[in-house]
Amino acid sequence: MAIKLTLDGKIHGVTIARRHPHLVLVIDGVEHEVSSLPALGDGRKSITVGGHEVSFSRASLRDRQIVRMGGRTFDVGVVDPFSQGGAGGSGQDALKAPMPGAVVSVQKRAGDKVARGEAVVTIESMKLQTALPAPRDGVIAKILKGEGETFEKDEIIVTLEPETEKA
Amino acid sequence: MRKIQSMISTSSADFRRYDVHNRRVVSEFRAKQEAARHQRPARDLDRLAKQGKMRPRERIEKLLDPGTPFLELSSLAANMAYDGDSPSASSIVGIGVVSGREVVIRADDPTVKGGAWYPLTAKKIVRALDIAMENRLPVIHLCDSAGGFLQLQSEVFPDKYMAGRIFRNQSILSKMGVKQLSLVFGHCTAGGAYIPGLSDYSVIVRGTGAVFLGGPPLVKAATGEEVSVEELGGADMHTSVSGTADYPAATEDEAIHIGREIVAQWDRPKKWDCQQETPEDPAYDPEEIYGIVPDDIKKSFDMCEIIARMVDGSRFHEYQPNYGTTLICGYANIWGYKVGILANNGVLFNDSSLKGGHFIELCNQNNTPLVFLQNITGYMIGREYERRGITKDGAKMIMAQSCSRVPKFTVMCNGSFGAGNYGMCGRAFDGRFLFTWPNHQIGVMGGDQAANTLAEVKLNQMKRAGQVDQSEVDRVWEETRKAYQEQLSAYYSTSQLWDDGIIDPVDTRNALGIAISASLNAPLGDPGYGVFRF
Amino acid sequence: MTSPLFKKVLVANRGEIACRVMRTLVEMGIASVAIHHRVEARAKHVRLADEAVEIAGDTPVAAHLDIDRIIEAARSTGADAIHPGYGFLSENARFAQAVADAGLTFIGPDAETISLMGDKISARNFAEAHGVPVAPSVMPTGDLDAFIAQAEGIGFPLLIKAAAGGGGKGMSIVRSASQLREAARLASSEAQRYFGDGRVYAETYVERPRHIEVQVLGDGKGGAIHLFERECSVQRRFQKIIEEAPSANLPAKLAADICESAVRLAAAANYKNAGTVEYILGADGRYFFLEMNTRLQVEHPVTEMITGLDLVRCQIEIAAGSGLPLTQAQVTATGHAIECRVCAENPDNDFMPETGVVKYLGVPEEPWLRFENALDQGQKVTADFDPMLAKLVVHGADRAEAVDRSIAALDGLALLGVKTNIDYLARVLDHDAFRDGDLHTGFVAEHKSDLGPLPLDETELVQLLAAAALGFRDFQNLALGTPEPYSAIGGWRN
Repeated sequence: MAIKLTLDGKIHGVTIARRHPHLVLVIDGVEHEVSSLPALGDGRKSITVGGHEVSFSRASLRDRQIVRMGGRTFDVGVVDPFSQGGAGGSGQDALKAPMPGAVVSVQKRAGDKVARGEAVVTIESMKLQTALPAPRDGVIAKILKGEGETFEKDEIIVTLEPETEKA
Repeated sequence: MRKIQSMISTSSADFRRYDVHNRRVVSEFRAKQEAARHQRPARDLDRLAKQGKMRPRERIEKLLDPGTPFLELSSLAANMAYDGDSPSASSIVGIGVVSGREVVIRADDPTVKGGAWYPLTAKKIVRALDIAMENRLPVIHLCDSAGGFLQLQSEVFPDKYMAGRIFRNQSILSKMGVKQLSLVFGHCTAGGAYIPGLSDYSVIVRGTGAVFLGGPPLVKAATGEEVSVEELGGADMHTSVSGTADYPAATEDEAIHIGREIVAQWDRPKKWDCQQETPEDPAYDPEEIYGIVPDDIKKSFDMCEIIARMVDGSRFHEYQPNYGTTLICGYANIWGYKVGILANNGVLFNDSSLKGGHFIELCNQNNTPLVFLQNITGYMIGREYERRGITKDGAKMIMAQSCSRVPKFTVMCNGSFGAGNYGMCGRAFDGRFLFTWPNHQIGVMGGDQAANTLAEVKLNQMKRAGQVDQSEVDRVWEETRKAYQEQLSAYYSTSQLWDDGIIDPVDTRNALGIAISASLNAPLGDPGYGVFRF
Repeated sequence: MTSPLFKKVLVANRGEIACRVMRTLVEMGIASVAIHHRVEARAKHVRLADEAVEIAGDTPVAAHLDIDRIIEAARSTGADAIHPGYGFLSENARFAQAVADAGLTFIGPDAETISLMGDKISARNFAEAHGVPVAPSVMPTGDLDAFIAQAEGIGFPLLIKAAAGGGGKGMSIVRSASQLREAARLASSEAQRYFGDGRVYAETYVERPRHIEVQVLGDGKGGAIHLFERECSVQRRFQKIIEEAPSANLPAKLAADICESAVRLAAAANYKNAGTVEYILGADGRYFFLEMNTRLQVEHPVTEMITGLDLVRCQIEIAAGSGLPLTQAQVTATGHAIECRVCAENPDNDFMPETGVVKYLGVPEEPWLRFENALDQGQKVTADFDPMLAKLVVHGADRAEAVDRSIAALDGLALLGVKTNIDYLARVLDHDAFRDGDLHTGFVAEHKSDLGPLPLDETELVQLLAAAALGFRDFQNLALGTPEPYSAIGGWRN
């Protein structure tokens, strides 16, 4: 599978066609021979592409590579192959109680936009307070349990609007 | 090692004629293979596209590490069965690299009758899992099958080597510590449900993937319960309620990514260290094989010329070059791996049988995998040879070969007739892989010989009855020959899964390279033989 | 060896300038004390110092402005002098006085001089009185109507600025009478907000002005010399980003005139220590006094590069009472020097400050290069302090060589993990107008369209993507993790 790199808002596909005697990368559908491979990690490196050696500096920053080459600095990102469906594919529309307890506070209201991981409600169970995060990006459809209300394990506390098909 | 000095003249009339002939044979093979791989009714493809599903070969391409090979096995399985309704036996099997690990990939083909399993599908899957067991290769199942093809259930379901064997093999594989991953893209119904069920890991695609023993129609018929596919066995149910599957995936792409990530967690088992050199391309062009193999099975050719176009640097250390010369024995390297090659250069005599048996013993002592290149009409027959003990000498070779502890590989290069097939590690002898060239013929005897034999029998019957009808004898001869001719062909052989696939002769080196590499995952067996008859 | 001029000097600053000062202290055999806020406890200037004192403060900046605690730190560590660096308390008369009152030596001018020069209006009056040309201007009266009437009298364009401010705050250019009232009102309120002093003043605005400044040293007794001028015309957001010495294409006579006027001013003020007299220079050769900075400048290294002097050493010697370290006749200039200010900012987004982390720092090493910095790999770049991260100072035999070397040095400099203006600086230096020395303070705006990022050609794009792809662990595993013979066989299909 190709990895998708982003540069200045454009997506470029990079994959491997061959490895011997040189690594052949397919970049945007065109093959290029890469004969010296820069080691992982930050620092000054060089790479030979199509017989031309070029030196550069590179640092990895979270899911990006900052590359300085030819007196210019570039910020190259990678498209997370798991981002579309959420890793583990958790596209659930419902936020379920992980254990029985009571709602302590509600941070969001129906119609609010939430980002994946954002706290929606805080529950208390076994003397432990837990913020329940949104399972995906979306819009709150209903809050089924208000402050002070109790619930059983796996009861649905919040629902999200169903995801519309992405164009 | 010395380079083989080729005696072939590429400008000779024979070479050119053979070249044209064999290229035609290979292009016929390629055309059949292409059709089996890609020719599908538009209706089935449309349905797949509508469901947002990839075609099974697209899934495999995405699953494999980019720029790495895929050795597809038995691409023409079932090509002469079921009126051609089950191309590749509705299943794709091969060996490739996923996340840097050597694996068997086995994919249902939903573009054929919803991926239903025909009898030969079951046979192909069982063989795939046998390969996994024999070579300790992890298996990745790409599941998308409607289940057994009910019209042929008696040939799919009950016997030892039918569908049940799939699940038995899965269990045994697991016991051996060989990993299995199922990516569930479509339905896994009835027995098929056990494929993910018996896998160590499974990923299931939301919306299209489903696992259940009985689908909604069966449930309704049995209990009256009405239930949707998703509720009954969908991704979220199985990954959050039943625990039957491990990872939900939003799309097929994501399932493949998750699958690759899972494989990346697996340890890399240590292979046993077969002697290796840096690989070297053959010094002679492998495509010259086309001009070497004659256009008539009755014409002989020097197998040394084939070896020269298959092994590293065309280098070959021949053992006993002047003894038993109808069987060439010697050492060479294929993709760097040291192998012992046994290749037929004529009928097996007493001396060539003894030489073969002795060489096999040497390879077993030396931990050298064996490669058999078959072009054999059999062991020599006749009074003189029986008196010299051709049977017991042949038996010695069969004993040595059968009891070998090193992995064995067989290539059917031209002909395989009679007991020669046995001595040279035919299908029955547990070679790790067996490949067939498209020109090859296999049978207990040749078509003409069989026709002659049966016509002779018929004539004798008629003579005893006192009425000889020559046209009847001719009919018997003709029918026998025709039936033989069909069953002798490589296509019939591969259709029945008597091999691991037809390969283009030029691909032999790559196929063997991968096969040898795969075989090294399994530890060497214990040394030892039965009783040799001296 | 003679005993050091001071036993111990507290450096009331941070970052590159603190490190710079300490370097000279080490050379002079003087112990150093660093101060720091809690958040910078492991900063380079703290590690370089012989001792360090943490100054509590709500914000890191507040800590560096806490006069009482800083003096207490000097006392408690036994420092006998304080070097203020630039920024923070360096031009704070109250601080200079407090240092003196504490019986310590302030390495800089006395509080009185700082006060005199710190107020734009008093400074200007002083300059005018001593024959230093000043731009026609209107003094603030507090009466806005009168101010406007007078301003109209000078004519346009006019520059309006805060009487007490600096750094471009409360500054605006007025090109017609109709804009004047609103501009004056805005400037006044901005001045009130930033400096607590709403007085504004207006002066003739010089079109395409160049910023020329003169480095002076004074002995505090009327003795003063200059160390030639610097040109700091390339600015963005009213702040310098590229400085050079000597100025580009400045006629020798004019340069001498300007320098001479600066010495006159410093001498008249009994200026003590190092200072800088700033001018604007019009295309017509008229120059006007702008202000005097009573401290070491950010860009002092370009002067050091051409004169071979160590200005911090000069400052210390003067502060210790050794007088001027050399005579005017002894001051010589060799070649050309350029300083580029490397800032955490995005030139493609109006130079907005950026934050991040210094993931990798690669600095070219050359005898003609100084990279003044206090950076550590892994260091966070926050909005707590000024976005200037470092200074790249390059010397060449002439301006052309200094430009080429600067570009080469910038190209070889890698500071990855936070957006910087490094690429942009190289583009400015490489611009024909810069190479021609056609400079003025509007340079950045004038050439904006030429100074954008250069597009990648096909080959460069491929090199970049290959280099980036192989930086991702997953991709490198893919490239190198394939077992043989699969790797050698490649993408074969049977």
